[in-house]
Amino acid sequence: MSDVGRHPNITLLTLSEVTDIKGYVGNFHVRVHRKARYVDEKECTACGECVKVCPVTKADEFNTGLSTRRAIYQPFPQAVPSAYVVNMDDCLGWLPIACGKCIDACEKKCINFDAADEDIEFDVGTIVVATGLDVFDPSVLEEYGYGRFENVITSLEFERLISSGGPTKGHFIRPSDRKEPKTVAFIQCIGSRTETKGHPYCSNICCMNTVKDTLLIKDHYPDVQCKVFYIDIRAFGKGFEDLYKRSRENGVQYIRGLPGLIEENPQTRSLNLTFEDTSASEVQTCTADMVILSVGLEPRRDTDAIKKLLSLSLTKDGFFMESHPKLQPVDAPTKGVFFAGCAESPKDVKDSVTQAGAAAARANRLMAKGKIHIEAITSSVLEDACKSCARCEKVCPYHAIEVDKDKKAPAVVVEAACAGCGTCASECPFDAIKMRHFTDQQIEAQIDVLLTENPRDKILAFACNWCSYAGGDNAGVSRLQYPASVRLIRTMCSGRVSEDFVLRGFQRGAPIVLVSGCHFADCHYINANRWTQRRVEKLWDKLENSGIRPERLQLEWISAAEGEKFARVMTELDQMRKKVTQEEIEQTIKVLSEGKKRKAV
Amino acid sequence: MAVETVKYRCLRCGYEYAGEYDADNPEERACPKCSSNSVRPLRAKKKSKDEKGQKG
Repeated sequence: MSDVGRHPNITLLTLSEVTDIKGYVGNFHVRVHRKARYVDEKECTACGECVKVCPVTKADEFNTGLSTRRAIYQPFPQAVPSAYVVNMDDCLGWLPIACGKCIDACEKKCINFDAADEDIEFDVGTIVVATGLDVFDPSVLEEYGYGRFENVITSLEFERLISSGGPTKGHFIRPSDRKEPKTVAFIQCIGSRTETKGHPYCSNICCMNTVKDTLLIKDHYPDVQCKVFYIDIRAFGKGFEDLYKRSRENGVQYIRGLPGLIEENPQTRSLNLTFEDTSASEVQTCTADMVILSVGLEPRRDTDAIKKLLSLSLTKDGFFMESHPKLQPVDAPTKGVFFAGCAESPKDVKDSVTQAGAAAARANRLMAKGKIHIEAITSSVLEDACKSCARCEKVCPYHAIEVDKDKKAPAVVVEAACAGCGTCASECPFDAIKMRHFTDQQIEAQIDVLLTENPRDKILAFACNWCSYAGGDNAGVSRLQYPASVRLIRTMCSGRVSEDFVLRGFQRGAPIVLVSGCHFADCHYINANRWTQRRVEKLWDKLENSGIRPERLQLEWISAAEGEKFARVMTELDQMRKKVTQEEIEQTIKVLSEGKKRKAV
Repeated sequence: MAVETVKYRCLRCGYEYAGEYDADNPEERACPKCSSNSVRPLRAKKKSKDEKGQKG
């Protein structure tokens, strides 16, 4: 942090919040709301005289409430810049000044209660999102008594408790009587790997954090008994297995099974744990002086705000989704945006540092060149046909289309930001957007040729490039059987499949039409497949109103790994295809042809 | 737009069930019976202009 603070090419904005981001790769315009510090950070030497006279006492957030701080304080010992800050929510008052003792105590006169928040704006070429994480609040797990029993603490509170800079100067004591505990129980997977109270994913760091904590206790307090209750220990990193072995060799007892109940002995304030040792298949009880809940990690509360600012997407776990899990693990789907640390997924310090280095290198690579290569598959506007309705602007997942509705000017595609999903082209009611590659003409020609002969024997399936089409590949390489009646048309995104393509398929005699794409959490174009679902819903209504069975239009989300699902869906659709009669197909063709004629008139 | 409770029909197996529908934040849907994603929300049809004009 000190290096960052001193670096001539890095501007560190503390107490700041990004409120708006506009533009695109190489041309981001950022607005930041900077809160007033009320202390001149250049003049403050962090002498601490102001802290001595401040009469306000509040829980210290950095020490997880285990100690107190004043209204004027340094957030944590190594904070950069090394200057104090006044929390005006805690201060006795500054308008008029109710106390002012800190002002009198400051020899350098660097406290200024007239300082005000400010909004600053600047341009940047690339953005790294490193917004960190939140930890799971275990108070919802009532069976563990966190918040009710003083000697049940979280792993984060334990970290502060045994830190030499912490509230007890590193002395390991239990909160109820400030005595050194004789037995300590760690409970793993608090808020992780659960479908009920918590998150279904593994938080990655908790096992090794507990192993490290047990070793710390054993190094400093060899007589303290440690028990770890776990589902399974995940020690997969470099050197981690050795660390785990060392912990066991030091006498730490690992018990497979999580306690179902913790009760407090009111006299001793010790805790009785009831658990099932699944290795022995026995329900047992034990007593511990202190219980440490190994809490899981979760996405930051403000993730949604950042998602909206930068047009990002989230995984189903709520963390930011990378562009590609293997080939672009630090790139966001929005060009020029990168991820570092737990914003993307739970990870330890080593992985966070590695990812931060990679993100910095990826950002630097772009900026050092000064220019970028963009995909050839982008959209363009046919200015004469555009009516400035701004539908395209609304549906673009990348905010790559700008429309000045007041001037009624044609839409403008920012090609550097366009990713070529084709949602705009599918949604434009005036056919005023043309794709470069995967053009209307190309796709329509494919529909026509696939349904030229014996259309009744064929299923017309639109599959997105990244997931569904790859799911078909997966089915193929896995040697899974699926009916030969399926005819696939690849599009970059399911968002590209317009109403016209589906109706054209029916008009050419297709008994069943399938639109398939990525699962919502996997969409490679942020949220383009949400528009696919909306469009298909409208089409179902439209088909029904025209007397066509909506069942003949099917929608399916198939990932690249779901070859089995691909084969199963195609088999099911083939069964449905066989039930569509020639008369029904002919009636459909007639209805759609008449509708087309009416539209033309 | 508020979240409304609507009836859904699976267009693969025909199973019908009730669930929440949020037009602004659509969620991935799967039939509880056959797990197909072809699940159609059966919302009340909007009144046409002609119907709106026929008051009383």
